[in-house]
Amino acid sequence: MSYKVNIARQSLNALFDLKGSPAAILTWVEGALPALPERPNSRTRRDALDLYHIGRDHWIVRAPLGLEGRLETQLRPTDCPADISIVRVSDTLTFFRVTGLQAADVMAIACPLDLHDTAFDADAVTYSELFGLKALVMRCEGGFEFAVEQSFGDMITDYLTRATA
Amino acid sequence: MMLLTCPFCGKRNESEFIYGGPVGADRPDPNAVSDAEWVEYLTVTPNPLGPVREKWWHARGCGGWFAIWRDTRTHDIVEVPDGTK
Repeated sequence: MSYKVNIARQSLNALFDLKGSPAAILTWVEGALPALPERPNSRTRRDALDLYHIGRDHWIVRAPLGLEGRLETQLRPTDCPADISIVRVSDTLTFFRVTGLQAADVMAIACPLDLHDTAFDADAVTYSELFGLKALVMRCEGGFEFAVEQSFGDMITDYLTRATA
Repeated sequence: MMLLTCPFCGKRNESEFIYGGPVGADRPDPNAVSDAEWVEYLTVTPNPLGPVREKWWHARGCGGWFAIWRDTRTHDIVEVPDGTK
C-alpha cells in the first residue's frame, strides 16, 4: 500500500557533540547555547540553535550550517578543558523528515519507539533504532524527523521508498 | 519481546540494547585468596536457576550501562531479591 507522506532528506546541519557535567559545560560555553534541557531526552531552542539532551551528561547542539563557524568560535572545541568534550560532528549525521497524514504509520514500520503524543511529546528527542540502525528521533512540524549516520543515508532512502511504495 | 527500563530513557524495546553478561563477583585481592578461589573468580560465570543480575548496554539509545535482575526460569525482569545487597 502507498502512504500519504512526504519524505525529504535534509542538507547538512552544524552539529556539535558535548559531553561533561552540566556545570562544567555551562561555565565553558558562557551563554552561547540555549539553556540545558532539564529532562532526559528533551530539547531546548533559542533563535536558530537547538540543544538536545540525549544521554547522561551528553548533549548535541544543532544549528543551520551557516552558523557552524560562529559556533566553532564560541565553543572553542580544541581548547576546552579536560573534564568536558566538544566535538564538531556536522558531517556525521544525515537528517530525514517524514511528514504528512500517515507519517506516524511510516515511522511505526521503521522504529519500535512509542511515538504517540502521550509518550513522545513535541520537545522529545531521543536516540532509538530505525530500520535496525541507531537513529536520533524527534518531532517536527507535521511529522517526524530523524538522523542516522551519514553513510547509511542512501540505504535509509531506499528502505523508506520501499516501505512506502 | 522484552522491555527494559533504562535509567535515563525509560522503558525501551530489547532490540535497542546489547547484553553485557551477568554481573560477576567483586575482584578479590589475588594475594589474599587461595588458588581455587582465584580460579573460581576468573572462570565461573554466575548461572543460577532464578534471579540473576545482568549488565545491559543501551547501545542504540543513550549509550549508558545499567544492571537489572532477570529470572532465568520465567525471563521476567524482577525486583532485587530479598537479602541481596
